[in-house]
Amino acid sequence: MPASNPPSASARNAPVLNLQTQQPASAGPARTQNPPKRTAQATFEESAETPALVKMNATPYAPQRHINDHYEIVGFISSGTYGRVYKAISKQRHTFAARQTPVAKRSDGTEITAFAIKKFKPDKEGELQYTGISQSAIREMALCTELSHPALIHLVEIILESKCIFMVFEYAEHDLLQIIHHHSLLPRTPIPAVTLRSTMFQLLSGLLYLHRNWVIHRDLKPANIMVTSGGAIKIGDLGLARLFRQPMHALFSGDKVVVTIWYRAPELLLGSRHYTPAIDLWAVGCIFAELLSLRPIFKGEEAKQDSKKAVPFQRNQMGKIAEILGLPRKSDWPLLQSMPEYQSLSTVALHNPSVNRPITLEKWYKNIIGNNNYQPPKAPAPDETALDLLKNLLEYDPLKRLTAEQALQHPYFSPEKGDGKPPGWNCFNTGLENKYPPRKVSTEAHEISTGSLPGTKRTGVQDDGLLRPVQKKMRD
Amino acid sequence: MAANYWDSTQAKYWTFTKSDLAAQRSELAKLNSQLHTTYPLPDRRHMSIFIQQALNKLSRRMTLRQQALATAQIYIKRFYLHVEMRKTNPYLIMATAVYLACKMEESPHHIRIMLGEAARQWPELGVTESSKIGECEFALISTLSSRLILHHPYRALSELQSSFGLSSEEGQLAHAIINDSFNTDLPLLYPPHVIAITAVFLAVVLRPAGTLQAHSSAGSASAAGMMGIGSPGLAPSIPMLSSAAAQNALSGLAGLKQAGPKLTKLVDWLAESQVDMEAVVDATQELVSLYEAWESYSERNCKESITKFMTGFSK
Repeated sequence: MPASNPPSASARNAPVLNLQTQQPASAGPARTQNPPKRTAQATFEESAETPALVKMNATPYAPQRHINDHYEIVGFISSGTYGRVYKAISKQRHTFAARQTPVAKRSDGTEITAFAIKKFKPDKEGELQYTGISQSAIREMALCTELSHPALIHLVEIILESKCIFMVFEYAEHDLLQIIHHHSLLPRTPIPAVTLRSTMFQLLSGLLYLHRNWVIHRDLKPANIMVTSGGAIKIGDLGLARLFRQPMHALFSGDKVVVTIWYRAPELLLGSRHYTPAIDLWAVGCIFAELLSLRPIFKGEEAKQDSKKAVPFQRNQMGKIAEILGLPRKSDWPLLQSMPEYQSLSTVALHNPSVNRPITLEKWYKNIIGNNNYQPPKAPAPDETALDLLKNLLEYDPLKRLTAEQALQHPYFSPEKGDGKPPGWNCFNTGLENKYPPRKVSTEAHEISTGSLPGTKRTGVQDDGLLRPVQKKMRD
Repeated sequence: MAANYWDSTQAKYWTFTKSDLAAQRSELAKLNSQLHTTYPLPDRRHMSIFIQQALNKLSRRMTLRQQALATAQIYIKRFYLHVEMRKTNPYLIMATAVYLACKMEESPHHIRIMLGEAARQWPELGVTESSKIGECEFALISTLSSRLILHHPYRALSELQSSFGLSSEEGQLAHAIINDSFNTDLPLLYPPHVIAITAVFLAVVLRPAGTLQAHSSAGSASAAGMMGIGSPGLAPSIPMLSSAAAQNALSGLAGLKQAGPKLTKLVDWLAESQVDMEAVVDATQELVSLYEAWESYSERNCKESITKFMTGFSK
């Protein structure tokens, strides 16, 4: 796989992007109706216009680094509720400021040449005042600064400048959603078993690191798992992650809804207030299944909150799970009855009678493997232990569900299984030709105004990507 | 990080040697020598006590968490290692540090509530727009390099408390001594467990010696209230220990004269453990010296010297 595409000289010089940004309120109605076009670079350069000295009453405070001295924006990657992500490269080191700073490096000493810059948008676009940084941004900034692991997205730096927060990450060429999408294009091909095993191994290693450090990710899904061109898995987006050691409040009281609906663990669907890292392992199980079948395994519809902001029971999602696993039973999950939504469980079968005759995971797995058209010996099917790992990740009772540590000990990862080697840290090391297209980085005109496109978390993936549910985040 | 102090940014970037600290401060002073001459300030520990007590008063209004208060104090300490206090509005820094610390410790308050309470508690704040706190938050986070996750001695204390079977009184005393330690440089010098061990040691030495004075904790009022220590009539400005008691403690450390079974156990454990004994001895001395310094503390002095440089600047 090629490393990140270095943009051509012309791309670097030409105004590559035209982003329309809403004008600040002070610009007046006439200008708001007809906002001037700006380049992507301009959305960053805007900050340079404001005076560098931030006055804290009498305190002159100069931000140490300016985003424009160090990074050159080459395009726009995606936008979401949090803000926008841009692709950038190191600025040509001919400015004084750029020469002053060391080259960004990974922990192994290699130079980082491409970056993904996450720009948090102010609460309101064109906000002229500081309104205080959201708690989720604070969490993400603090956690990314503190954590460091090969399977975690690498934070290069954070720049706070003129009311904007820029989190500069190492750029990753792919993500799992994109890879799944690529394989589902006709002619549909399965993800190679070696890739699958290495991906799961790296993902669980990163998750083990998070959990050992008392961090629950709370938003694992294919779009949040990055893959570098060298086949390294990087868990990203810690915007919902938080420390769970001795929480001051029940975790529930902070963020009422966590995890995108398709990856949400049953204990969350049943209203559990004191959930644990096990919710991340359920999501890993769902991702594992999706990597096998190239479709979300439990593709439910999210029940919207009513006007009273009460959190509704996610009957449809629970039904999707039960279509395959059957409804949870007290005999398998002793604490089931103490779940707040236990009573609602009986209504699932009324709306979705097929839960009474579940497919079972065995049958689901057999169908998938049968349809996947693996081509042994060059491209063999996954090892038979994969089903057992999947079953133990998609375990209803969070206390019985595998932990990240136990999952890594599972026979699926033992050296004598699979291709007879332990899983590696390059998931593309398959001996097969399999080129994934680079991430789509838009350099064309884009209209982005606040709230117009709530579903477009990732522009790099079309069709299916747009149909994915947007995560509901309820903040304190 | 959260699990391992040794991998944390606190250990890697915000723990110093005494000479590092002194060098950093003298450099900052050199850059601002004019201000230092024009606006002399009381002993640094007195300023810390002033800040702590100001935060405690705010805490009583807003029922803030002990953990968040501790975090705010460390943010302020780190900030003033890089920024000359005489160039700032300390009340704004305090309000912002509390605002940020509450978010970090998962007990957030809205920025407008924070401003309103801070303005009512500190008329000197002189800020009426919450955006000032937002602006200051940027400066604070930048100065701290986004290293916001902290390790406090309280967790180590609760572990020690159970392994040494400390009485609840001893535990409370140790807790209050930890609160006092935020007025020294100890949090910038030593790992949290060293401070916790020192606090336990002082608490265990002092109790059987009968030198403990049941003063209200100088630390968090909410903690003191929660733990029911301190007699209600006493002003909260009184430190945990009298300096005489602390001196006794120090001689206790040297001679271990009043070695009760608990103390023997503690000493044996310390001898066997990998704990840096020199650090514990030094931390004990720092605390003793704090209690001495406390005797000459004057809230008015601190307040007036702050007012002087604040008004001097707005002219």
